[in-house]
Amino acid sequence: MSKPLLQKNTKYLLTWLPMVLLGCSVLFFLLLRMQAHHMQDKQLQLKQRNVWSSFTGTGGAVAPHVRGEYDIVKRSDTLSVGQGALRDTSLYYPDRAKLLPFETLTSRYTWNGDGYEVTVYVSSTEISHLIVKVFIAEAVILLLLLVAIVVLNRNSAKRLWQPFSASLQKMENYDITRNQPLDLTAETGITEFNALHKVIGQLVDRSNSAYNNQKQFVENASHEMQTPLAIIRSKLELLINEPGLTEKNAAILQHITEANDRLSLMNRTLLLLARIENNQFPETETVNISNLLPRLLADLQQYYDSFPSLESNIAANLTVVANRSLIEILLYNLLTNAVVHNTENGRIRMTLEPSRLSISNTGKVLQYDPETLFERFRKDSYSTKTTGLGLALVKEICILYGYTISYEHSNGWHTVSILFA
Amino acid sequence: MIDMRLLVVEDEATLLQSIREYFALEDFTCDGAATYAAAVNKIDDHPYDCIILDINLPDGNGLRLLQYLRRQKKDDGVIIISARNSVQDRISGLDLGADDYLTKPFHLSELNARVKALLRRKSQRSSDVLVADMFAIDLAARVATCNGCQLALTKGEFDLLVYLINNKNRVVSKQAIAEHIYGDQSDNMPSFDFVYSQIKNLKRKLKEKGHEDLIQSVYGLGYKLSL
Repeated sequence: MSKPLLQKNTKYLLTWLPMVLLGCSVLFFLLLRMQAHHMQDKQLQLKQRNVWSSFTGTGGAVAPHVRGEYDIVKRSDTLSVGQGALRDTSLYYPDRAKLLPFETLTSRYTWNGDGYEVTVYVSSTEISHLIVKVFIAEAVILLLLLVAIVVLNRNSAKRLWQPFSASLQKMENYDITRNQPLDLTAETGITEFNALHKVIGQLVDRSNSAYNNQKQFVENASHEMQTPLAIIRSKLELLINEPGLTEKNAAILQHITEANDRLSLMNRTLLLLARIENNQFPETETVNISNLLPRLLADLQQYYDSFPSLESNIAANLTVVANRSLIEILLYNLLTNAVVHNTENGRIRMTLEPSRLSISNTGKVLQYDPETLFERFRKDSYSTKTTGLGLALVKEICILYGYTISYEHSNGWHTVSILFA
Repeated sequence: MIDMRLLVVEDEATLLQSIREYFALEDFTCDGAATYAAAVNKIDDHPYDCIILDINLPDGNGLRLLQYLRRQKKDDGVIIISARNSVQDRISGLDLGADDYLTKPFHLSELNARVKALLRRKSQRSSDVLVADMFAIDLAARVATCNGCQLALTKGEFDLLVYLINNKNRVVSKQAIAEHIYGDQSDNMPSFDFVYSQIKNLKRKLKEKGHEDLIQSVYGLGYKLSL
């Protein structure tokens, strides 16, 4: 599953960073407690020495029991507890009516031949409060740290990836057929992106040059074919003028002529396609489609005996700025297609609205995917009257001028629409 | 149009041969040149009424030959035949003083009609009248007469008659006629319906003037106007 890098990174941080921080907190807590314990130990040892020296210094005149501070007990037997080890205990304070936790240290001393057991106390309450407070402070800091890391990470990632997003945008808008260079910033300040831009730049240059070579090849190949086609055509014209032409030979010549004409037509259209792709129609003028369309229609109605019945609705004064011959080719191809691919006693419906032309014709259902209708050499197998390049040509002209072309089929009607905008 | 002198400059030998063979049936002297150098020699030797000029020559550009011709103040008619069909090529050819421009592959009958039109324009500066046997056709006024009687022709029939007269006594293919009349805008193969109906009407109108069978169909390949 694909997610934005930023989201992935945040998710990763949010998964692992709290765990790390939790682990650190536990460690911190343990270390804190250990240090506190150590500190109490030192405190108690110091206190014990002070109490004992005060006891011996005053010749035993010091009070032997101070609650929560120390106990001095005269004992001759062995030590009741392990010497020098810290112990937890609790003392009852009647004024506060509760047991309070203390830490004690008991040691054995000898003075004037008597054995004494000195136990000193230090309250655990403050230290444990301190531990809790420090721990809470630490937890708050870690939480703030977590938020800060995530936010900083997101912002810095956004900033760091900004050149990448900008380049992506440019690459998305890049269209090899438009023959434009892809201008990626050479210096992004990030080595990896600079390298990426350099590599993409080289890739695009190579693709451009391959694409241009291919376009040039089609154009050159078509040009080169014109002369042999001219030779065949001229020889055929000489042949039909030969005396003694038999009917059988005439039929053969008829077929050769038709095939050669189809070849010439195909070649001419391929050449035209290549020249449109190579931007060789720079001359433009204002073309009035509202006037042009009825003229072409009138011509075609003359040229075809079985011109389908026509309903047309042509809005006045639709003009486009374009190359006149290309617009004529565009309309002529659309119209002849609607005639040639029609059924017997078929119909054509044509609507020219401001900025939109729709031509519908009755006809057989397409034998191929309508998505590929505008591709080159796409045609029904039964059709020998076309080269299969007509709609590719129409599409190419639409691409050149930024018109939107669409096809739909419903209730036996094929409709091709062009949006001049 | 007698004693017209033509030069065909074309590097493709077989095409050159076809053109010369086709024009041999007219009363023309038709020379051929396959290279720029040979063409310059011929131009220096004779004035030509019409030069059919291919642009791509092995040792030079046809357009340069055209420049050379015009610099020498020669007013030989020039029809360019080129495999390149772009407005720019056409414009630069016509700017350099070519009279017409034809793109390969062309029909020889079309080339013939263009040559005839060019020669007529050059020889009859005041009016453009095509006279052939019983026909007299004023191309400027678009009026056709047969034995002095005006023929009532539509635009298509008129163009067709002129085309057939320009190629008289030859079989003109129906494809050549269709391309001459329709132009070449569509990617669809031309419909010959219009050619058939125009021929039929023209034959009927000629028959009314007492000229039956002037136009014959040749096995469905094309038509021949015999004068």
